[in-house]
Amino acid sequence: MALDWKNLSFSRQILPAIALLGLLAAVLFIFVGLPDRNLTEPDREPPRAPAELAAQARVAGAGVVEPSSETIQIGSALSGLITGLFVQPGDRVTEGQVLFTVDDRAVRAQLREANAAIAEARASIAEARSAQATAAQQLALYRNVDDPAAVSRAEVIRAEGEAAAARERLSLAQARLQAAQARAGSAQTEIARLTVRAPIAGEILAVNIRKGEYVSTMGGSGSQPFIEMGQTQPLHVRIDIDEEQAPRVALGAPATVSPRGASDRRVEAEFVRAEPLVVPKRSLTNSAAERVDVRVLQVIYELPETNGLFRVGQQVDAYIAAKGAEE
Amino acid sequence: MLWIAIRMLTGDAQKFYGLVFGIAFSTLLITQQLTIFVNLIERGASGVYNVSSADIWVMDPVSRTTDVAYAMPSTALDKVRSVPGVEWAVPHIRAQASVRTKDGDLEGVAVIGVDDATLIGLPKRMLEGSTDVLSQPDSVIIDDVGTTRMFPGQSPIGERLELNDQRAVIRGIADAIPSFTSTVVLYTKYSQALNYVPGTRNRLSFVLVGAENPLEAKALSERIERETGLKAQTRDEFAQDGVQFIIENTGIPLNFGITVMLGFIVGVAIVGLTFSLFIRDNIKQFGALKAIGVTNSKIRRMVAVQAGLVGLTGYGLGVLGTVFFIWGFSGDPTFKGFYIPWQIPLISALAVAVILALTGWLALRNVLKTEPASVFR
Repeated sequence: MALDWKNLSFSRQILPAIALLGLLAAVLFIFVGLPDRNLTEPDREPPRAPAELAAQARVAGAGVVEPSSETIQIGSALSGLITGLFVQPGDRVTEGQVLFTVDDRAVRAQLREANAAIAEARASIAEARSAQATAAQQLALYRNVDDPAAVSRAEVIRAEGEAAAARERLSLAQARLQAAQARAGSAQTEIARLTVRAPIAGEILAVNIRKGEYVSTMGGSGSQPFIEMGQTQPLHVRIDIDEEQAPRVALGAPATVSPRGASDRRVEAEFVRAEPLVVPKRSLTNSAAERVDVRVLQVIYELPETNGLFRVGQQVDAYIAAKGAEE
Repeated sequence: MLWIAIRMLTGDAQKFYGLVFGIAFSTLLITQQLTIFVNLIERGASGVYNVSSADIWVMDPVSRTTDVAYAMPSTALDKVRSVPGVEWAVPHIRAQASVRTKDGDLEGVAVIGVDDATLIGLPKRMLEGSTDVLSQPDSVIIDDVGTTRMFPGQSPIGERLELNDQRAVIRGIADAIPSFTSTVVLYTKYSQALNYVPGTRNRLSFVLVGAENPLEAKALSERIERETGLKAQTRDEFAQDGVQFIIENTGIPLNFGITVMLGFIVGVAIVGLTFSLFIRDNIKQFGALKAIGVTNSKIRRMVAVQAGLVGLTGYGLGVLGTVFFIWGFSGDPTFKGFYIPWQIPLISALAVAVILALTGWLALRNVLKTEPASVFR
């Protein structure tokens, strides 16, 4: 019945065959066309909880790396033009090392003025001394004359007056010397104040001034600090923890910290302290007005030496054991 | 004997093609409409399915779908990370924004901000460019359907847009399933998205979570809900939420339900009428067969074979028509990502079987009652 080519009927054989082939094609199309909804592993490593905390109670937080001294924003005691800048970002400085100097010409002129005044005062002291000596000799001469008639009373009084005036001039000249010396001393102090020195040993993190720029005691333009420095050996990290989670944190336990973008490189950080003040969280949105939302407890941890993995200001993700985990 | 039944069936070509056409047409109507319906409402879940690596979505308790979400404070991320069983968690922002194009037109777009470091939250595949372009400043990646809407007939790469007074440069095209409303989608980094979307105090729309054990995602989502007070949905649950939202808020299910019903009724009407007419016309032949001693069960089998052939041919052609339809429109952005769920051809097969069984049974009643003597009348 079937394979008789002459007898091949369109409706009896070809059409059902087409339908069957069509069905097969449809099945293939349907299964090839099913959407790909498989779950995949992320391409880049996201921050994960450390293995030892994976199944335990834990608290996660985000934080920012900072120097162990916190960041010191160097200011200037006096305003003026910068005449010398002696550090670059990245420099390590010792305590007392000169960072930059401010224009001191005016103060040095004052110093010279004061020095001149000292010399002048010394000269007038010498002059007063000789006048005093002359007056004292004259007075002694008159006093040694026994005959009252030889010297008039008026002459004696004048000589006494001259001696007293000469004494006064000496003490005046001495007072002038002291004043001039004080002026010189204050000018020297000012000169010292125009030289800005490192308050602690540490690393220069940012230099926002250049030679020839004007520094004001009110702070830099755009409220930028002139120089930022801090002790970066060791580094600290300030972890923000939501106030709702704060009671759960096992204070004293180490934290596992990884930098943003390199979450596979985790380090263990030592507990330093928890800030006593709970502060509003700063959302690092980079917008002009930082937004304030929930409050956070800030916990400080000390980072181990990691050879440039962590830098000041970098954001990190951290995992800390919760209280329940230890018991 | 069964071959005789088939010859009987195809003997009258007109009736045979009528039957095949009726079955094919109702199969096409049911399959194609159900396919479009399913794909259309699954558009509500496309936002979830585009993110291929998240097991669980965490959101504010009042959030409903990927597009109807209420923002959380940014520490929600740390809360979620604190839950045991969470392998990783990353922030995810979804927001509406207006973009000004080069011509000055205003277009509503969806801005999706993905985690800065890991880029979790981007679609799996890129059509042009790589995901690394997001590391360049002011970069955004546009979705392919958005490209056809915003830049018809030209490449969007390198185009500059203005979002919330900020510059945005398109540097890549993502291969993503469009959303229900086919909004243009711009993918960018989380920190960048915060600048592009003028917003309120809280910005974090979702936290995407990878479970340590993906098989226990449901248990983990419940633990997250218990420990953080937020709402956690597994991927499938959240996709279902999106679908449910569309079902509840649009008239689509009703409209398509009516069409599918019509397909069924048309099928029953055409096939039923033709089939019973065909059997009635052949009642003499059945009578003759009965007269030569063919049993009722044999006749039943013969009719079943006839129905089977008609059904198979019609159904095959109908499904083939649907496949051609979907395939033909697969290049159209409106139908991007449309597929035929394997359940739907089974449903239409069932419908065809029901149609044929119903009409065959109705027609057979007369045949079985036929006296062999009726041949001679």
